[in-house]
Amino acid sequence: MSITAWPGLTITTRSGMGYWLASLRSMTRFEMGRARQWAALMVLIQILMGAGMALMYGFFYPQITHETALYITTGTPALALIPIGFVLVPASVGQERLAGTFDFTWSLPVPRSAQATATFLLFTVLSLPGAVLALAVASWRYQVQLDISPLIVPGVLLSALMAISVGFGMGLAISNPLLINLITNALVFVVLLFSPIVIPASHFPPWLLAVDRALPFYNMAEVIRAGLSIGLVTDLTRSYLILLAWTIAGWSMTAWVVGRRK
Amino acid sequence: MTACAGPLPPVTVRRGVAYWAGSYRALTRWHLASLRMWLMLLTVVQIMTGAGFVLGFALFFDHIPASAALFVSTGVPVINLVVVGLIMGPQLVAQQKLQQSYDFVRSLPVPQTSAAAAWYTVCLLAGLPAVVVSLLIAEARYGISFAVSPAIVPAVLLVAFTGTIIGYGLGHAVPNPMVTTLVTELLIFAAFGFTPILYPSWQLPGWLATLNWWFPFGHMAVIVRAGLTSGMATGIASSYLIVAAWGVIGVALSAWALGRRA
Repeated sequence: MSITAWPGLTITTRSGMGYWLASLRSMTRFEMGRARQWAALMVLIQILMGAGMALMYGFFYPQITHETALYITTGTPALALIPIGFVLVPASVGQERLAGTFDFTWSLPVPRSAQATATFLLFTVLSLPGAVLALAVASWRYQVQLDISPLIVPGVLLSALMAISVGFGMGLAISNPLLINLITNALVFVVLLFSPIVIPASHFPPWLLAVDRALPFYNMAEVIRAGLSIGLVTDLTRSYLILLAWTIAGWSMTAWVVGRRK
Repeated sequence: MTACAGPLPPVTVRRGVAYWAGSYRALTRWHLASLRMWLMLLTVVQIMTGAGFVLGFALFFDHIPASAALFVSTGVPVINLVVVGLIMGPQLVAQQKLQQSYDFVRSLPVPQTSAAAAWYTVCLLAGLPAVVVSLLIAEARYGISFAVSPAIVPAVLLVAFTGTIIGYGLGHAVPNPMVTTLVTELLIFAAFGFTPILYPSWQLPGWLATLNWWFPFGHMAVIVRAGLTSGMATGIASSYLIVAAWGVIGVALSAWALGRRA
């Protein structure tokens, strides 16, 4: 067989910042089109989980003191972000792996880093309304006066981005869907009972608190709480650094899977 | 076409107590054998969940009040008892429908009542170890000494029956496996967070407490509590009646779902 040269066809290697940004734009539109199917459901689950948990925790107490109410309310946005990042994203990534969706998207002529960035950005933005709504429900229920400061913006954004990055990396790196299911379910249970998200950290035995300080969940609650209240949070820098480290870990997991050849 | 020639095979209608008991034995063994891995994993998860609730609940308080500790310790066994039949059971049936083994299971030549009884036995067996471990952990952690009375036997049997048969009816009545999964996920959230199982009903808002009076979950906790403590539970007779009434509803639902033609 001979190779026929096609007249007029020139091959250009597409690269550069402009090409990457154009790819990011088109992949964001692509992902947005796909998200229309489940975005509403996602917000619904967030409200159920976030606001529902916030209401439920209130039933645990014979008397709800101001401190209790404040902790529950300021912990609610984190409660609404955790199920998205650590349950929904890994589950949907696992399903898409099984369905072969990645085989298609990775074959598109766009840099894979632009694809991953588009997904992260989109999920981060989509996870915000549910968190805000859950916070609104909780503050209405407990009638707590919040001191909202500009710190809330980086706090919520980093928390959402971190949760989605780790969830995405986990969903990609772990190939067994049953294992993902088991891990995510165990995570949610551990988080809801054994992380100081809606509870003051002083209730925790030191060894458990040390574990929680290294895991992302407590730190999510802390950086968000710092933007909603005054004087509850100490050691904010440390929480930010740990969240940053988890975000990078999520990106590395993603890069490792996305970048290798089959 | 001609009719089938030759003598028809002898038709024996199998019935009677011996046949029923034989079917029951065979199906119980069949469930235990086919689900052995799943059941072992489930038992471990159940024990961990029970222990998690008993231990984790204390973290919500600075110092957990004795009454709260007693409530959670006597409520966790209810969750252990019903979670298999009410939540896992329907999900298992949904899975069978997805894998298309459901029609095969339904076609087995066994009486429906013995099939239901066998499933009830399996669910009871899967729940009991976790009940015992949860109670032992509660004794060790909170220094509670339970006043176990013979009333615990009918309470456990009835609670497990009602939970299992509602789940049984649900699993068979709902045709779409996705809907089953969604309903059970909502049920686990609503039944364990918003019902007075782990905490007294006066900690709920008035309307929710009233609503709960019509549902079986709070009453299950009452009758189990009555078998584990003395003088703590009130309205035991009406609680038995309501749990039993829900058992009848479950039987009716199952009979309708299994009796109709596909």
